[in-house]
Amino acid sequence: MRQRAMRTGTTVGFWVFMTLLTLIPIWWMFVVSMRSRVELFSRPNLAISRLYMENYSNVLTDSTFQRYMTNSVVVSSCNAALVMALALLATYALSRYKLVGRDNIFFWLITNRMAPPAAFLLPLFIMFTRSFRIGDWTLFDTQLGLILLYCVFNLPFAIWLLKGVVDGIPIELDDAAMIDGAGLGGVLRHVVIPLAAPGLAVTGILSWVFAWNEYLFAANLTSVEARTITTGLAEFVTVTGTNWGELAAMSMITLIPSAIIVIVAQRYIVMGLTFGAVKE
Amino acid sequence: MSDRQDDVGATRESPERAKLKSASERPGFLPFHTNAFDRVFIGVVILIGIHLLWLRFMEPALPIEVATVISLVVGYVVVRRG
Amino acid sequence: MRNPRTGWLLLSPTLIILIIFGFMPFLYVLVVGFFDWNVFAAEDGMRFNGLGNYRRLVFDDLFLHSVGLTIRFAVFAIVSEVVLGFLLAQMLTRKFPGKSLFRIIHTFPLMIAPIAVGAIWRLLVIPGFGPVPFVLDRWFDFTYQIGTYPDQALATSVIMDVWHWTPFVTLTMLAGLSAIPREPVEQAKVDGANRLQVFWYVTLPFLRPVLLTTVFIRIMDAIRTVDEVWMLAGGGPGTRFTGIYIWRVTSPGASADWGYGSSISLITLYLTIVLCWLLFIAISGRRKGEVE
Repeated sequence: MRQRAMRTGTTVGFWVFMTLLTLIPIWWMFVVSMRSRVELFSRPNLAISRLYMENYSNVLTDSTFQRYMTNSVVVSSCNAALVMALALLATYALSRYKLVGRDNIFFWLITNRMAPPAAFLLPLFIMFTRSFRIGDWTLFDTQLGLILLYCVFNLPFAIWLLKGVVDGIPIELDDAAMIDGAGLGGVLRHVVIPLAAPGLAVTGILSWVFAWNEYLFAANLTSVEARTITTGLAEFVTVTGTNWGELAAMSMITLIPSAIIVIVAQRYIVMGLTFGAVKE
Repeated sequence: MSDRQDDVGATRESPERAKLKSASERPGFLPFHTNAFDRVFIGVVILIGIHLLWLRFMEPALPIEVATVISLVVGYVVVRRG
Repeated sequence: MRNPRTGWLLLSPTLIILIIFGFMPFLYVLVVGFFDWNVFAAEDGMRFNGLGNYRRLVFDDLFLHSVGLTIRFAVFAIVSEVVLGFLLAQMLTRKFPGKSLFRIIHTFPLMIAPIAVGAIWRLLVIPGFGPVPFVLDRWFDFTYQIGTYPDQALATSVIMDVWHWTPFVTLTMLAGLSAIPREPVEQAKVDGANRLQVFWYVTLPFLRPVLLTTVFIRIMDAIRTVDEVWMLAGGGPGTRFTGIYIWRVTSPGASADWGYGSSISLITLYLTIVLCWLLFIAISGRRKGEVE
């Protein structure tokens, strides 16, 4: 009995330690965001002496930051919606129809997810600035460009995740609805979507986060109008005097969605990150 | 994995079974099961690899065409026998 | 009733998007890699260059160095993550007070944007006001300067990656551990196996698929790391990984040498695909003599 208590004690102690290791870096960023430039360069300590909100108010009232924020929200939300819709259709097709080369399509999908984005930057830049051109309009520096491009890494993951969900819906339900006279749209709306709703929600949430977190494509395929918040963060670090307080404040703001998602969708993160290969 | 251990044991006990099993496998020399696509893929991978190494180490001595010939031969062997 | 044509119709938007943005770039680098194409040169246009770009590439020490660095980074980071993640998952199989709270906090780094992870760590290690250099200097008399010492920069990247991704390993391992049936473990204990033997002969074989999948995903992610390390060290010494190198060479502002950039991209894709395929073979268990 005593030994078990000891063991529980050690476990809890160890986890407290791990939690501190996880939180201290984030806490330090919070501390930096609450300090003025002068205070920063004094002796480092982890306590917050006074509420100094100027970094936050500077960032939040800055029109550039507001534009970046709007772009990020628009791009992530549209991308998540698009991914949910396309992935549902694609999974339904892969699950219900006998298509030639189904398994090869699957393998090809995962290779899309695994490809190093850096290797695609140059061709994408050429395509965005030169190939997709209508008069003066190009895909470069548009929200539409990013929304479509983010499908490349979000769609494969969404399809892999949803495949299990749609496969789990008995095909007899489809048939029954069809006998009752429902078309394809009716089957999707009244049978598949209601039953796949939880899986669909998880897909949407995680796609949203992945799009929100993306940096490399956004940094190279936008210049002014469609820049997202992650590129904004990187822009803070300049050769001539970085404003660390505002950088920290802005980072703290980008953390908010992550925090919400960890709490809301905690159980599904693993499934999402392993394409449903590992379930809890 | 416990299955695998059983299998090893069984193979040692009955050579007939082991023979049967290996006969059902392709007799290729590659250490895993392959289909035609896999072998063509391996062939292309080897082709690129040989060319790159050749450019780095062998080019002053022998022209790159030699690498092409070598890798085509290797590729043929892999596709037919792998 | 189920016409395959309808199926293809449903699949087509997905395929079209992936072909345009996933496959066409690949064809693009494949073709452009054989050309000399410098946008800012006197005449803009592609000139066929044969293997010239690749000849340059195999002697490009910066590129080769970046590949070596990436491999070191991936090996150090993934080994630490797997060991640590396994231990943590093992601890999470027990019941103890506050477990779910600890777990939620532990999961948090996973969802943070890589660029923000880089910012967090940069603030920790920045000379001047970061606590890490301060503490190391004050208590251990150790000079810590990631801008100067490549090894320190690499080590910091590894630690940052461990901080960011260990939770992923913990969660997958936990899923794997909770799926292990109890009987074989109990049986082994009855037969007198010690804890190490139980782990080696019972737990590990059951865990193998999950472990391999986890390592596979981690390797593929680690070798394409760009954002967080860039934010941490700005491409300083010791952190020029392949992804960062390609990015710097091919980014429109930095270099206009699109032919060479394409050849680097293609070779990186080649290395990635070969590695990915080898790991895939290892996972799918297609080795001969193995029971399927």
